[in-house]
Amino acid sequence: MPEKPVLFKIRRQASPAQKAYWEEFELAWHAGMNVISSLMEIARNPLTRDGKATTPITYDSNCLEEVCGSCAMLINGKARMACSALVAKLEQPIRLEALSKFPIIRDLSVDRSVLFENLKRVKAWVPIDGTYDLGAGPRLTMEDQEQAYPLSRCISCCCCMEVCPQFNRQTGFVGAATISQVRLFNTHPTGAALKRQRLQALMGDGGIQECGYAQNCVEVCPKDIPLTRSISEVGGAVMKQAIGDLLRR
Amino acid sequence: MAAAPSTAAPIKLPGGVSPLRAGQGHSFLWRRLHSLTGIVPVGLFLIEHFFSNAYATKGPGAYTKQVAFLSSFPFVVTLELLGIWLPILYHSLYGFYIWYRGDSNIRDYPWAGNWMYAAQRWTGAIAFFYMGWHTWHLRFSGVHILTYPAAAFGKVQLEFHSPAAVAFYAVGIFCASWHFAYGLWLFAAKWGITQGPVSRRRWGYVCILIALVFMAVGAVTMHSFMTTPQQPVEPAASELDSFTMR
Repeated sequence: MPEKPVLFKIRRQASPAQKAYWEEFELAWHAGMNVISSLMEIARNPLTRDGKATTPITYDSNCLEEVCGSCAMLINGKARMACSALVAKLEQPIRLEALSKFPIIRDLSVDRSVLFENLKRVKAWVPIDGTYDLGAGPRLTMEDQEQAYPLSRCISCCCCMEVCPQFNRQTGFVGAATISQVRLFNTHPTGAALKRQRLQALMGDGGIQECGYAQNCVEVCPKDIPLTRSISEVGGAVMKQAIGDLLRR
Repeated sequence: MAAAPSTAAPIKLPGGVSPLRAGQGHSFLWRRLHSLTGIVPVGLFLIEHFFSNAYATKGPGAYTKQVAFLSSFPFVVTLELLGIWLPILYHSLYGFYIWYRGDSNIRDYPWAGNWMYAAQRWTGAIAFFYMGWHTWHLRFSGVHILTYPAAAFGKVQLEFHSPAAVAFYAVGIFCASWHFAYGLWLFAAKWGITQGPVSRRRWGYVCILIALVFMAVGAVTMHSFMTTPQQPVEPAASELDSFTMR
């Protein structure tokens, strides 16, 4: 197939404080190319469309098979993983921008540490540290495993947060990924030791109450995690605990 | 159990969303109260209001009797204040605050749930301004219908004297019905009542039905007001009427 050259419009920014600008790139079309492979090509020969020398584009990527979560960016205005974004399926010119709700480090690379901070605040781990060998933990039932596995597929790409109308600087909403991890670790028989603390954390400002149930999270999730189910389930558990705490006080 | 402070200070870049403030603030209480007030008492009042107004379909006499019945409640103004006005005011004002803080993005992500998210804000706002007009005209100005129940039917009829006013009432009823029905759906989803996609979809069908029932009752009621010959609205005459009615 004699395909036309591929046109990219990329929003660039040299540093967090500097102004953003657009640059256009033209690449020869070849079969199977995706956005990351295109960015690699540009890095090999960093010339803009009109032949001016420029710097290679900074972006995050690692696994190139949609399991590491690094390469999330806005492609034609929509948040998605760049490695699985096939050029053949995209409208041209292909617009690439950094995720809009995270501080830009440079070009397409953003600081997504807010997710890590959120995961720490809800204690998204299984507490197994002790002063002696605690031995084997309780068994996870088959049913719980089937519930937990899809949740454990989260790759921390932050797409669910980027597309959420409630995740912004005014609300400081925690986002769907973290709420879903609360469900994952509360399902785990040993992880459940911290269940009350996790649910308590989600009652703080920016907690689960900020969810407006627009359901964009579950639409965009590249790993098909049942995020709205997690929000409903955890929402119910948080509510139950809030009322219980009120009565036990 | 105190969390160990992380040794490496995270790089602070401008423009980021702040992480969860675990254990801080009262927004959980206020936001959940907003959600609850939409059902109890505002939703319950909406049911009562549509039901009571539907007495118009049985004629001015039956309508006057229902208005007289509601007006006869002990502490009626206190009931109105605590059961209707304050909850609606809280639900509305906090609702505007929620809208102000959200960033609707249907242009980039035109998905059904996202449209409903935006529609819930627009219908709420329209219903709010509609209710402002509606209560000012019928409750707080003109003939006092709590004192003169027999004037109520005619007073409502006067509301429909221009096509623009009729359209405004139709839009108000449509928005209130939509907002309440989707509010019920949202309540069930957020409070963990409908947890799975199947139950959410089924409850969605029920909510659509609820919306349609409200809209139909509203339309039939409006039709009754508009097709009945104009009833008197003067307090003196109506007072006399209400005596003869009893």
